[in-house]
Amino acid sequence: MSENTSFIVNRIPSLTWHWLHMNQADLETLPVGTEGSLSQDIPEGITLREVDATQFSSTRTGMGTNVDRIVTESGVPVHVLETVGDAGELDNAHLDFDYVGSGAYVNAVDLSVADGTELTLVMNLRSEKDAKGTAALQTRYHVGRGARLTLVQVNYLGAGYDFLNDIGGEVDEKGDFQLIQLILGGQNNYYGSFTELSGKKANLTTDIGYIVTGDHKLDMNYVANHTGRKTNCDINADGVLRNQAEKIFRGTIDFHRGCGGSTGNELENVLLMDEGVINRTIPVILCDEEDVEGNHGASIGRLDESLMFYMQSRGMNDEEIYEMMAQARIDAVASKIPDEATREEIAKYLGEE
Amino acid sequence: MAKEKTEVKDIDRSKYDFRYSEDDAFKLNEGLTPEIVAQISKEKNDPEWMAEFRQKSLELYNKMDIPDWGPSIEGLDMDHILTYVRPKDNKMQKDWKDVPRDIKDTFEKLGIPKAERESLAGVGAQYDSELVYHNVKKEVAEQGVIYSDVESALRGPYADLIKKHFMKLITPNDHKFAALHGAVWSGGSFVYVPPGVHVEIPLQSYFRLNAAGAGQFEHTLIIVEEGAYLHFIEGCSAPKYNVANLHAGAVELYVGKNATLRYSTIENWSKNMYNLNTKRAKVEEGGKIEWISGSFGSHVSYLYPMSVLNGEGARSEFTGVTFAGKGQNLDTGCKVLHNAPHTSSYVNTRSISKDGGVSTFRSSVVMTKNAKGSKSSTSCQSLMVDNISRSDTIPAMDIRVADADVGHEAKIGRISDEVVFYLMSRGMSEDDARALIVRGFADNVGKELPLEYAVEMNNLIGLEMKGAIG
Repeated sequence: MSENTSFIVNRIPSLTWHWLHMNQADLETLPVGTEGSLSQDIPEGITLREVDATQFSSTRTGMGTNVDRIVTESGVPVHVLETVGDAGELDNAHLDFDYVGSGAYVNAVDLSVADGTELTLVMNLRSEKDAKGTAALQTRYHVGRGARLTLVQVNYLGAGYDFLNDIGGEVDEKGDFQLIQLILGGQNNYYGSFTELSGKKANLTTDIGYIVTGDHKLDMNYVANHTGRKTNCDINADGVLRNQAEKIFRGTIDFHRGCGGSTGNELENVLLMDEGVINRTIPVILCDEEDVEGNHGASIGRLDESLMFYMQSRGMNDEEIYEMMAQARIDAVASKIPDEATREEIAKYLGEE
Repeated sequence: MAKEKTEVKDIDRSKYDFRYSEDDAFKLNEGLTPEIVAQISKEKNDPEWMAEFRQKSLELYNKMDIPDWGPSIEGLDMDHILTYVRPKDNKMQKDWKDVPRDIKDTFEKLGIPKAERESLAGVGAQYDSELVYHNVKKEVAEQGVIYSDVESALRGPYADLIKKHFMKLITPNDHKFAALHGAVWSGGSFVYVPPGVHVEIPLQSYFRLNAAGAGQFEHTLIIVEEGAYLHFIEGCSAPKYNVANLHAGAVELYVGKNATLRYSTIENWSKNMYNLNTKRAKVEEGGKIEWISGSFGSHVSYLYPMSVLNGEGARSEFTGVTFAGKGQNLDTGCKVLHNAPHTSSYVNTRSISKDGGVSTFRSSVVMTKNAKGSKSSTSCQSLMVDNISRSDTIPAMDIRVADADVGHEAKIGRISDEVVFYLMSRGMSEDDARALIVRGFADNVGKELPLEYAVEMNNLIGLEMKGAIG
């Protein structure tokens, strides 16, 4: 009954029936590799240094310990970004990962945002359009008291790239972690994020937008771990599946005893464009505390009939309506990115696709 | 002035917690061996195919793992479970007068004969491993409705029908306790409703487990033919013992074209019971299965009635309430498989956790490529009544058809202060407002039951409010 335990990633915190094959993803091999090419644009108020993997923080991550193994066994350095002192609102930082040719690449980033500091970090993941390979990126973070970290990740990888994107971190009192992810490329994408909301009034907002096409796969696991009082999380996933694409979304809001006054919301909208797509969703709420409120909503399938009728009455045919609504879903997530250049690049990328 | 906490009382089980001596009952040895299973076959006078089926099921049982995803069942030691207990003077009767006195008294206390007289079309009563009473009203029988025990049906004119359907919907391969059921099943009911027949008032089977340390493994097989209608009610209870009891029944429901079956269960096993029950319905074109499920008893429950929507336009409705109190870990929910075009499912559940109880809502909605134009809607709400209890929701959706409309909403929380304030602004006292909210929360099941059973369920819940949740 137990599933293959060789290289499990994205395991859900609370298991369900194994026959659904939704509890976890199983990797055939661990994609150990060399360091991926990284260029950076770091504003004043941030220091950047490299340490070896033994000094990487040990915060739990969404994908789990097998990604730790990938980082360790690859022997790549960890890039540590730290804000300096009480720097207030910083200019946006950029990390661009460019995977050259067909290879196996690994990167690790450790972020620390000091008390009262606000930072937006944009990570762009790119490869040549026709390249085949694997890439793994593990990002850990710590958001200090009253600090804010907005982490933007945009996946422009080529259609032959498998990508493992693993995130884990902790948010202190009144800290705010905003995660915005656009998944526009890649072949088989594995995304995981674990957020420890340990400080009183700590906040997490996650906005995910994706388009999965061809026979590509997207496997996600997001966990909000509420341990602090009056913490809040909002996890929103909006996406489009086309052709024979396959996607699984695991989202867990875990209210631990002692997190009184906390709230958590998950919302997922999935537009199924073609026969042949597979959409799997498992939104979990675990509740060990009385004074909380947890909500989940999901809407999966075709567009609403009344919306279709309205659009048709305006002269659009079905295909045009679906194309427009698919684009609108991604635009809605992209519009939340507080970096104009990134928004423009996304619009340009989508226009070309 | 100190703020008073709302007190939601435990379910009053005194009505169910009585027992009679089992000294005169016939029991097989504890445990599970090929010899014990062979002995059950002998006691039941099984046809050859059934005896073989039991042994194969036992082999499967021994190969399968215990689930690692649900509540712990470490306290269940199969080496100390009695798989077969036959009450003394066992012979199935058609008149309550002929039922042995202790057993008759048991069912009188549970109100079964009275219910039969007043509101049922037929009754089956099982005591430990055997049916002791079975009767169906003359006018219903004259419509061609068959309502009997499974063992009699196995040897009568419906033997081929039983063989064709028995454990074909729930196979022994499904999971460990389905295999266990296949090996040691005993008792249960067989119902056959001919095409076009509407059984206007419900049939009921009641299962009573009296013996300490025993298991009950009844099998319910219902076939509702094309255009027919049936409401079947299942009730169960047991006295509380200090040793584990086990219930691993199986319910297989075949709903024909344009037929409707409503299957209502009020489960009230005692708090030493491991309730590992399996229920499944297969619904053909235009047919409908309606599950009404109240889970109040047991120490541990694994219960997820499944609807297989196999014909175009087949429908499923699941309405459930689970009340987990002290010492209880109730893992309940449902499964729906949409396997035909234009099928629809609606799931509406409530769960209440109090006094350290653990309630988990677990579900799956699967739509295959065949389910074009299908719709599914799930709503599950959980109420936490204190800060020592736990409530989880684990719903899964697997959608493999684009032309689908799937919605899901889940909510966990405590009583809303805003709603209380609103009701108070309309003239209600705070106590009354909170009482109204808690009672109303579980009303989704109550309003679907016949009046007598809704009243019984409300008594069972015994929600009594005092003061305010602070």
